[in-house]
Amino acid sequence: MSFAERMLHIDRRIIFLVIGLCTLIPLLYPVGLAIKISPEVKSVYDYIESLPDGSVFLLSLDFDPASKPELYPQAVALLHHAFKKNLRVIGMTLWLPGTGMASEVISRVAREEGKVSGKDYVFLGWSPGASSVIITMGQDLYKAFPTDYNNQPTAELPVLKGVQSLRDVNYVVSLAAGSTGIETWYVFGKDKYKFELGGGCTGVIAPGLYPLLRSGQINGLIGGLRGAAEYEVLIGKKGTAVAGMDAQSATHFAIILLVILCNVFYFLIRTSGKTAGQN
Amino acid sequence: MPFEVIVGAWVATGLTLFILTFLYQDNPLFKLAEHLYVGVSVGYAIVKTYDTVAVRLIYDPMIEQGDWSLLIPLAIGALMLTRYVPKAAWMSRIAFAFVVGVGSGLAIPRVISSYILKQIEDTVRPLAFLATDGSMTFTYSLLNPASNLNAVVLLVGVVSVLFYFFFSVEHTGPGKAVARTGIIFLMIAFGAAFGYTVMARMSLLIGRLTDLIEYAQPQYGRATWWLLVITVATLIMFHARRKGTEPPQ
Amino acid sequence: MTLLRRQLPLLITFVTGILFAAQYYIPHPASELMLTSVSKWLQIIAGFALILGVTSLFHIHAVKIRRKEPGWGYSFVLYAGMLGTIVIGLWHGGKETTDGVTTAFGWIYTFMMVPLQGTMFAILAFFIASAAYRSFRARSREAAVLLIAAVIVMMGRVPLGEHLIPISGDITQWILNVLNASVRRAILIGISLGAVALSLKIIFGVERAYLGGGKE
Repeated sequence: MSFAERMLHIDRRIIFLVIGLCTLIPLLYPVGLAIKISPEVKSVYDYIESLPDGSVFLLSLDFDPASKPELYPQAVALLHHAFKKNLRVIGMTLWLPGTGMASEVISRVAREEGKVSGKDYVFLGWSPGASSVIITMGQDLYKAFPTDYNNQPTAELPVLKGVQSLRDVNYVVSLAAGSTGIETWYVFGKDKYKFELGGGCTGVIAPGLYPLLRSGQINGLIGGLRGAAEYEVLIGKKGTAVAGMDAQSATHFAIILLVILCNVFYFLIRTSGKTAGQN
Repeated sequence: MPFEVIVGAWVATGLTLFILTFLYQDNPLFKLAEHLYVGVSVGYAIVKTYDTVAVRLIYDPMIEQGDWSLLIPLAIGALMLTRYVPKAAWMSRIAFAFVVGVGSGLAIPRVISSYILKQIEDTVRPLAFLATDGSMTFTYSLLNPASNLNAVVLLVGVVSVLFYFFFSVEHTGPGKAVARTGIIFLMIAFGAAFGYTVMARMSLLIGRLTDLIEYAQPQYGRATWWLLVITVATLIMFHARRKGTEPPQ
Repeated sequence: MTLLRRQLPLLITFVTGILFAAQYYIPHPASELMLTSVSKWLQIIAGFALILGVTSLFHIHAVKIRRKEPGWGYSFVLYAGMLGTIVIGLWHGGKETTDGVTTAFGWIYTFMMVPLQGTMFAILAFFIASAAYRSFRARSREAAVLLIAAVIVMMGRVPLGEHLIPISGDITQWILNVLNASVRRAILIGISLGAVALSLKIIFGVERAYLGGGKE
């Protein structure tokens, strides 16, 4: 086998090791390159900045533990921002496996910002049906969630005063790991109930949401860990997302190098095969 | 640091490392973690479903608040479960018919409004303004997605890709040029999708390694270090045992 | 009997489908009340559907253990994990925290479920790298276009790439907001037209695969 052929059939565990090191070393020895802010992330930030005190902000954490590294930092940054702006925060999730995580992040950030459950925020929890939940919330919020996650009757909570349905919510942001998320919130929610909708999502589904962004159906999009890092920079509270950006840079360049090498070796094999054929 | 958090850190680190051993080779440690993952996930789903559906959605409103109309969805849901009883399975069809009928009915006007009408409107509207505006200004900044030039590029992209997927018409002559344009647009979009998928997958790995680095700290009893040693030693033991049972050559 | 088994479900689908499609265009309070009630019912019925899905998994692994098929020890681990989680979860009323204190159920969630699920998906990073190296070859012009777009986007979305080649960030934004958006829009329109067509076929009884279950 020629050198190129041997390199193309290299043991994949060597590639695993390269990726592992490219992720580990920048995490242990960060460089801290500047992060440019993209317009789609700034739109979400600007909209929340523009909301007056006491506005109702609904954050739907529509993801499971598999997407935690990308969407959990987004949730932390958004919640810090919302609480700092003294917005009334309603938390919920459409994804059953994410309920524990959603409950934990809201109560933890609320505690850090000195906010009280029932008065400044409420966590409604999870309910089956996704699209049905959104429609029911759009018709009558208290029918969809008669009690909050701690079994307190929602109709008696001060934080929900004046909120009868989704029409009374000023801004909804869905942090989505799949189609049950931003798209469901738009089709079954904003289309009829006309609230403003923003989105945060994993890198996998982000490109598919750009048509909605362009048409204004969502007013902003925070894409992946990079989006979370940009939001952390905007609110001035750098966290795990910014810390992960150097590792992200290293791994991306590793992949680019691997792809280029693969094509170089492939090209070498093809040309040597052609010359061999001619001889 | 509370004791249960330290124990939790050790368990979490151990399970993470067991799954990572799959990168070397499929082995009993990985299989153990994999089956535990399925078991715990299903158990969690069962508990949450019971608590949310049985207690909060059915029992509390019906028994405590007297909303007996909920007997109807309870009956329909129960009909759905007859699917498992072969003689009575036909009754589950009624339940499925109801759910699918309502779902389709709800979806049709909403999908048409959100994904078809609104998307076509946004593709065409920037150009309509251009035609009827009267003024000769044509913004051609590529950096601004809302510029007129980009609106034209967007229209070309949408039409050519839609045409490419329209297989009822043969892609010959001028149609071939449109279809080929569509393919180029598609390839660029798939390239962008691949780039973003790489970004997403790497982020997931970064998240897990961040946790492993955190649990290597002294306050967690240096869990990562100790468990790494134990895991590698176990793998070597499995490897040696497998070599020992192989027939001599 | 055939009337009950075949025609009744189709009739139910037809009536409910037409009713709720029309409901969207009728803002009358009675119609809105109907929507509220039925969407609430769907939440409950969806819960039952979950029970359905989970039961089959229970069954598969129970059979494996009973028949002592190879690897049945692992099915035992699965069952132990499942039953342990259920017992502890129900003991704590399905709550991960009570008054800010983490319960045993919350402990299982945070230190077992989250790391397990997280790592299962994190190892995909390694596989995507290996797959990219082995098979991401520019075999044709179209594949080369795909490759170049992928490299530009991968570079433009990280701080190092924007630092080395600032224009890569701008090109990436253009690719995403214009080229990618146009393709995804076309795909979205196409898929939605197909979905609407399928929904209409289901409502009018042309498509019956969803019924399943039982003999005609």
